[in-house]
Amino acid sequence: MSLLWLWVALGLYSLGLAHALLTVVLRRPAWFRTGLAAIGLGALFHFVSLVEHGLTVDRFPATNIAEATSLLAFLLTLGFLLVYWRYRVESLSVFTFPIVFVMTLASALSQQPATEVAPVLKSSWVPLHVSFALVGYTALFLGCLGGVMYLIQERELKRHRPRAFYYRLPPLDTIDRLGSRVLAVGFPFITVALLIGAAGAAGAWGPGWIHDPKVTFSFVLWFIYLLLIVSRVSAGWRGHKAALFAILGMAMALISWGANYMSSHHTFLGH
Amino acid sequence: MEIALVGLSHYTAPVEVRERLHFPEKDLPAALHALGERSEVAEAVIFSTCNRVEVLTRLEDGVEALPLVVDFLAAMRRVERGAFESCLYHHHQREAMRHVFRLASSLDSMVVGEPQVLGQVKAAYATARAVGTVGGVLDEIMTHAFVAAKRVRAETGVAAAAVSVSYAAVELARKIFGTLEGKNVFLIGAGEMSELAAQHLMEAGAQAIFVANRTHARAQELAAKWNGHAIRYDDLLSHISQTDVVISSTGAPVCIIRREQVQRFMAERKNRPMFFIDIAVPRDIDPTLNTLDNVFLYNIDDLQQVVAANLRERQREAARAEEIVERELDRLLLRLKTLELTPTIVALQDKLHGLREQELAKARLDGLTPEQRAAVEEMTRSLVNKILHLPLTQLKRLPQQPDGLRLVEFLRQTFRLKD
Repeated sequence: MSLLWLWVALGLYSLGLAHALLTVVLRRPAWFRTGLAAIGLGALFHFVSLVEHGLTVDRFPATNIAEATSLLAFLLTLGFLLVYWRYRVESLSVFTFPIVFVMTLASALSQQPATEVAPVLKSSWVPLHVSFALVGYTALFLGCLGGVMYLIQERELKRHRPRAFYYRLPPLDTIDRLGSRVLAVGFPFITVALLIGAAGAAGAWGPGWIHDPKVTFSFVLWFIYLLLIVSRVSAGWRGHKAALFAILGMAMALISWGANYMSSHHTFLGH
Repeated sequence: MEIALVGLSHYTAPVEVRERLHFPEKDLPAALHALGERSEVAEAVIFSTCNRVEVLTRLEDGVEALPLVVDFLAAMRRVERGAFESCLYHHHQREAMRHVFRLASSLDSMVVGEPQVLGQVKAAYATARAVGTVGGVLDEIMTHAFVAAKRVRAETGVAAAAVSVSYAAVELARKIFGTLEGKNVFLIGAGEMSELAAQHLMEAGAQAIFVANRTHARAQELAAKWNGHAIRYDDLLSHISQTDVVISSTGAPVCIIRREQVQRFMAERKNRPMFFIDIAVPRDIDPTLNTLDNVFLYNIDDLQQVVAANLRERQREAARAEEIVERELDRLLLRLKTLELTPTIVALQDKLHGLREQELAKARLDGLTPEQRAAVEEMTRSLVNKILHLPLTQLKRLPQQPDGLRLVEFLRQTFRLKD
């Protein structure tokens, strides 16, 4: 059943995707309200799917890649809805909806029947670690989108020749504040995820845990994230530099996500 | 039903022609009255502005609109036909209605999206209604035109982007700062365009204004106008760092604001963005300022370029507006069908005579002789016709009344006539 709900959610997300594609092709907002309503409703079905899946397999529903991707897509949708509710930035949808769609699709296609997972993944700290990390990733992702939007709008304003973007994207200051707020909210989550992960790993893997590539990249990611926050507050790094940094943060998060495949310990199946 | 629009506008006629045909506001009621008097004219509205003179009419079937309006204009404005005939365009039915919709939506204007024309069309409609030359059909067309205009304004950007340099400056400031609230403006020098830009910025909610001028008295005078602060010309650099928008238009022969200076105080203000508008020729501000982070510099050419882009954007949005116009036209034509009375009249007759026959069939008339039976049938028939006479007479007059359509609909509902 949970897979069925996931496909229903995917069907609804496809309307969001249609909005994004039409908007890009026609170079003007199209189907935004339809897309927004569909995404909201899709998130609801997505949530039902996650809960039901968790109840069926009787564990936290994010212990393999497919499950984690599904949860991350759900959190992204939620994050988008929160940001939209707070800042009314319509244009963010063009970037977010396609990615939510693709992630949900990937997750739905690779869902496998419930398998027995390694005992370490049944520890109580794992769900906390994963959820906090995914919320942090969501924030980084939205922050990165903010960075991209900022750079585009800044370019429009510096070039003195307004094109379609100038009219559709929100003011620079709005994007800048959005980016900084999203990142500020995400930072504590990443920090807690890292602490729980480090403590858990030290306990489960023994003294060698610190040499795992996943651990290394995660610490680098956290450090960049820290710089992002600190430079904004103390040195007044805003606008262009902050936008570039936010994109760098996302790139690092991708590498850290990819490190799951390099790590001998931190794989989802928990060998 | 024959709807026609005949007229000329800035697209087809030079001002020399338009000024001779223009109806001054005080002459309009008399002109409408004269037009309404003509037996071929059922309804009429006249649009007369500095850009156009147009006559919208509903004519009796088979009447040619063009010669009638030529005749009317020539007689009313005492202009020989040859002087304007070649400038006229004429539209019929849907095309005529489309023209009115586009007119009200400001799609036919010289500057697409300009806001005045809707007011002018509304005034023309009010005048015609007051004189009594607007009946059910034109009333329906005009109110639908206003609906279309409202939608175009709300759902497209035809009227959004600024088309004057001074407003473009305000819009750019909004694109940088989001809101102008809490932002300070610095006006250096004076001049019509820079003062206008400052004025618009203050109206848009800017917090405070500083003014500097080589002649300090002039600075004080300008500052007083917006309750601002006059700054000594020699001190201006020490105040710029506290402001967010700088408008400069001095007659200075060299740059008065240099890159190194701005670079220095950007650090002081923690990189909060700054917007420089350089309207002076020769320029007052070092052009390389624009390459600094969080600094945006526009000179007079840049602003004009933005205005040109805004005009193109309005044109693009106009294409979407045309779609809205077409959809609203479809809805109007559907409604106007109700005003074609024949179906309603036939339906009403069928309904009542049907009831009569039903009741006759129910009545036990078997005991009557054929003569008596014929007499009863004749009596019921004439009774129904008598009853029908009043509503039918009224119905035939309805298209002349402004509320005609609603009354026809009311009648159809009352007798449950199906569409």
